[in-house]
Amino acid sequence: MICCIEIALKKELRDAEASSLIKKAASYFGINIQEARCINIVTIESDFDHGQLGRVKDEIFTNPVTQVSSLTPLDIDFHWCIWVGFRPGVKDNPGSTAMEAIKDHLGKTFGPDEGIYTSKRYCLKGDTLVREDVEKLASELLSNSIIQQFKVFSMDEWDKKIGADVKPAKVILDHTPCFEVISIDSDEQLAKISDERNLALNPRDIPVIREYFLDPDVMASRKKAGLSKPTDVELEYISQARSDHCNHNTFQGIFRYTDASNNEQVVENSLFKTYIQEPTLKLKDQKEWVVSVLWDNAGVGRFDAENNYVVTGETHNSPSNMEAYGGAITGIVGVYRDPMGTGLGSKLFMGSFGYCVGDINYNGPLRPPLHPRRLLDGVIEGVKDGGNKSGVPTTFGQTLFNPGYMGKSLVFVTALGIMPNQVKGKPSHEKKTSPGELIIMSGGRVGKDGIHGVTASSESYSENTPAGHVQIGDPYTQKKMHDFLLICRDEGLIPFITDNGGGGLSSSVGESAMISNGCVVWLDKVPLKYEGLDMWEIWISESQERMTIAVKPEDLDRFMELSAEHEVESTVIGEYTDTGKLHIKYKDETCAYVDMDLLDKGFPSWEFDAVWLSPETRGLTEPVISSPSDFNSLLLSMLERPNISSKEWIIRQYDHEVQGGSVIKPLVGVNHNIPSDASVTRPVLTSQKGLAFSQSILPWYSKIDAYHMMTCTIDEAVRRLIAVGGNFEHIGGLDNFCWPNIQFDPKKNPDGKFKAAQLVRACRALKEACEKYEIPLLSGKDSMYVDGHLEGEFGERIKVSALETVQFSGTSVIEDISKCVSMEPKVSGDLVYVLGTTANELGASEYYEAFDEIGLNIPHVDFNKFKVVYRAMQSAIENELVASCHAVARGGLGVHLSYLTLAGGMGLEVNLSDLPMDVSRGGLLNETLLFSESAGRFIVTIAPENKSIFEKLFKGMAANCIGMVTKDHDHLKIFGFDSETLVDLTTTQLDKAFNKTFGDMI
Amino acid sequence: MKKVNALILTGFGLNCDNETAHVFELAGAKSHRVHINALVSGKIALKDFHILAFGGGFSWGDDHGAGVIQALKLKNHIGKDLLDFVDQGKLMIGICNGFQALVNLGLLPGLNKDYTKRSVSITFNDCGNFRDQWVHLAANNQSPCVFTKGMDTADYPVRHGEGKFIADQKVIDTLLANHQVVFQYADAQGVPAKGEFPLNPNGSLEDIAGICDPSGKIFGLMPHPEAYNHFTNHPDWTRQTQLLRREGKTLGQEMTIGVKLFKNGVDYIKESFF
Repeated sequence: MICCIEIALKKELRDAEASSLIKKAASYFGINIQEARCINIVTIESDFDHGQLGRVKDEIFTNPVTQVSSLTPLDIDFHWCIWVGFRPGVKDNPGSTAMEAIKDHLGKTFGPDEGIYTSKRYCLKGDTLVREDVEKLASELLSNSIIQQFKVFSMDEWDKKIGADVKPAKVILDHTPCFEVISIDSDEQLAKISDERNLALNPRDIPVIREYFLDPDVMASRKKAGLSKPTDVELEYISQARSDHCNHNTFQGIFRYTDASNNEQVVENSLFKTYIQEPTLKLKDQKEWVVSVLWDNAGVGRFDAENNYVVTGETHNSPSNMEAYGGAITGIVGVYRDPMGTGLGSKLFMGSFGYCVGDINYNGPLRPPLHPRRLLDGVIEGVKDGGNKSGVPTTFGQTLFNPGYMGKSLVFVTALGIMPNQVKGKPSHEKKTSPGELIIMSGGRVGKDGIHGVTASSESYSENTPAGHVQIGDPYTQKKMHDFLLICRDEGLIPFITDNGGGGLSSSVGESAMISNGCVVWLDKVPLKYEGLDMWEIWISESQERMTIAVKPEDLDRFMELSAEHEVESTVIGEYTDTGKLHIKYKDETCAYVDMDLLDKGFPSWEFDAVWLSPETRGLTEPVISSPSDFNSLLLSMLERPNISSKEWIIRQYDHEVQGGSVIKPLVGVNHNIPSDASVTRPVLTSQKGLAFSQSILPWYSKIDAYHMMTCTIDEAVRRLIAVGGNFEHIGGLDNFCWPNIQFDPKKNPDGKFKAAQLVRACRALKEACEKYEIPLLSGKDSMYVDGHLEGEFGERIKVSALETVQFSGTSVIEDISKCVSMEPKVSGDLVYVLGTTANELGASEYYEAFDEIGLNIPHVDFNKFKVVYRAMQSAIENELVASCHAVARGGLGVHLSYLTLAGGMGLEVNLSDLPMDVSRGGLLNETLLFSESAGRFIVTIAPENKSIFEKLFKGMAANCIGMVTKDHDHLKIFGFDSETLVDLTTTQLDKAFNKTFGDMI
Repeated sequence: MKKVNALILTGFGLNCDNETAHVFELAGAKSHRVHINALVSGKIALKDFHILAFGGGFSWGDDHGAGVIQALKLKNHIGKDLLDFVDQGKLMIGICNGFQALVNLGLLPGLNKDYTKRSVSITFNDCGNFRDQWVHLAANNQSPCVFTKGMDTADYPVRHGEGKFIADQKVIDTLLANHQVVFQYADAQGVPAKGEFPLNPNGSLEDIAGICDPSGKIFGLMPHPEAYNHFTNHPDWTRQTQLLRREGKTLGQEMTIGVKLFKNGVDYIKESFF
């Protein structure tokens, strides 16, 4: 029987969700809704009797104080009603928890044909509403056709008895699981099959694959296992393992780099080995705090004598561009599995975000899959639910806007964990699988979600067709698993653990079996969300919230006991062996039998041509702009710019305090609303130590040269750490590359060679920065192809590429958190210092962007000079000489002095002519001093009595007192050359500008 | 020496258990993090403890109302144990999700000694979104609440999407008259916010941030006192430190008002039970 329970808030109560809908309808589409109410619908398919349904309705789903409910449609007035529900197969988290609640409450289990599904309907009132408006709201605000379906009802169309007529969104696959044997008679044939099946095999890999399967020894050995030609399971395994995502073919590829100005050519054999691995391994030897790098799911550094911290980052761009909420929540929940699967498993203690999106007010002709505004809304919400419900504080985050990200927006997510350095007397960062150990899959079940879109595109839609490859993360299931696995770890039950991310079991089991040198997997044991999956689908599905764990047979009972207590599903799905074979069975049949070392069979490297054209060769010059006459208005308009203005509304939605270790918060200052340089967290509550964390993203500089983009990004991330009290001797790095397509194609990608050269240069800069600043790269990821082909006004498609972007994250361990410093001036009468020189470096600055200019003079990083200052700053902070410290970043001194004024809530009087200056790159004017983005600079305030000792510490360095925190007014007063008043603005004026763009968003 | 045993619930998406356990230890108790299913199965008995803490988090994902399924599960399996615990005059504290669970269980507000009736609700914030911010609280010094004894004001963070306290006017009036309203959102001077956002972050009626039962032994609040377990948790600590330093003083020698709240509870047990 199918029954729907409808639940709504009582009419007299404020319906916050409905209010938000009314507000967005008006501001996004100019659609005027006068009244709205939301109704939750729980659809139950079961054999419950009426009495049981009544109990479920009243005792579980209805709050007697606030809600009304009914087993028939609620009689709520409307002009229009929109119903929105999930497509079959989309993860319905409230549906799952409803099942759990009912099972517990009625003591009843659900049969295979029974289930619970949730959906919503919205009752709208508005005299002027027409169907077209309502359908727009349904399709562009309330649902996304990839995961949801909707129906619109007018008053006349509504049947009060049937209501929205909700059917269970269940998956029915009328299919007997099987595997197929693939012909490999010729390269062409295999290439054709690869295309048809969406295997995405690289043409260069195809001969190697054929050679292997046609090898007489291989054939003989396969014959014994009952196999001849390769099966689809095997080819899918190879396809996953050889994908750019898993194998990093770009960074392992060969680059022929030519500098067009002198035609000098250099061949780069592997960017990864040369620019990432080599310097990191060297630094690992020098820095005793580096524990484990370059092989596990995340890097490991020492936190204190008993604990290590774990860090990694990830992007989830493509899925977020299709389904922003689903993509982002899957991204954050997914990256949180990496620390859980590092070493023997770590406890998560913080996360961060980075969003790069197009103009959220875009109203031009291009049609991205999701409008940037909607995309940002969805992404923010996804990370909110994923992060908050994981119980992990989101302590840092940045949001950037640039038109290039309308082609593909970027969603960066970062995760940090902490683990005792020893588990049962053994180092926790080491792990291995051994023959005889059982392969266990814990957590969620496997479905068609996360399979490379094949099914969605090749099958026609029916109401029971699963909804493709977009997933919805389930932090609740994962949190239960997290708690459970930490107990198993501490009891010494886990010799090996890894997560199921890209590639699913194919990747987690495939890679972990390389350590023991073999495995046998029983795919029929893998718990499924619904029946009817083929073997290859079970093997590669990326269904979320799963970990793969090795457990010794003698520990199985205890492991399963804990699993049951925590209500986490765990299943033995195979066994590690030392046969040298990856052996996959389904019931009695073998469906894959390949050598574990198959992937080392000399697959060819990818190759790229890279041609560097210097900015001068490309015709970039400095723009011709005379000095402005109204600096007050100019500065206010800079503060209103989306990349400079307040994004408080995003940060407030994230719990940044859970776990009780917050030391420096993401928002600081008297009004707690100015973005901090970095966050500091105590992952171990009994310790005085803290972990500082910062990130930087400066993609604009790639317009001139990605080399300097990279050096400036790393310099800023490091400086941010130092500003809060970080330790220069302990800086861990994390590089997340997001690059447009670099494979040259005269038609499809004519500037591919240049973008490839930008990548090579960014990697060279990465190495230089890491060596000079002594930063081992604890972890890193790359996401290529950040391009989109957007439909235009006349049916044409235009390629829009994102800027070459790197998010660089820094970690540092602070010995004594009570020495930490925040950025706001704290005492009037304190002296204001600027450290580091300001040069004529407005190239690709926010200032030039305000005039639609790029320029040429990109900021240069002088590592050797800067690091002397950074060490001195560390010492100044450790010796408590500094009242506030702030790293100057995007927007230059003008913007950052404004931030300081707002953060302190006190006035500042500074004189630009007192700044440390560097005229080597051209003459300096007031606007250059105010808006140049020269790297390496801090603004510091100190007590007057510390003046001499402070100046002594910075003797011989660029460090000048430029003014003071005022006693008698709350203005920002900036005097220019010749000591004329350039800027005179009150904190109120500054605050109004800073909050003008996004200030009304909550 | 005898220890005050505090039980902190864990599992099913709860997530503040570690810091709540830590703060109870700082307050002088022995903390026990216990999975809800260990109580359900009887492996661990509630009667062996003095204080029961329902902590923050997202039990069952908060999918069908915050704290609803948690309350239902506890009522179904250990409902009697909970009522016995109350009868014995032991202490319960519910923070955020735990507060939501307490009101859904009916343990709060416990009017007319009925500890099973749902008569108040904590619902979606008026602002329509989850919000993390520090709030100023005014404590009611006439309240019987044992946890807030001797407190006038406190700063704690709130972190919730469903924190708006609502009830019938009659119930509200009774709560006020009984001094069961323990904490109200206030301005920096301790004057109630009168609904003004963001001082009152969620639109709670009468600025209610926390209530107790008539005995003062069951206490629920939306703000997180356990997140103020160290002086560096406070958003203004760097400025306070700097100002004190100018006077030759240092911050952090005294117990935070967060720890103090738990210590009041622990001290009460020591006085009443040992």
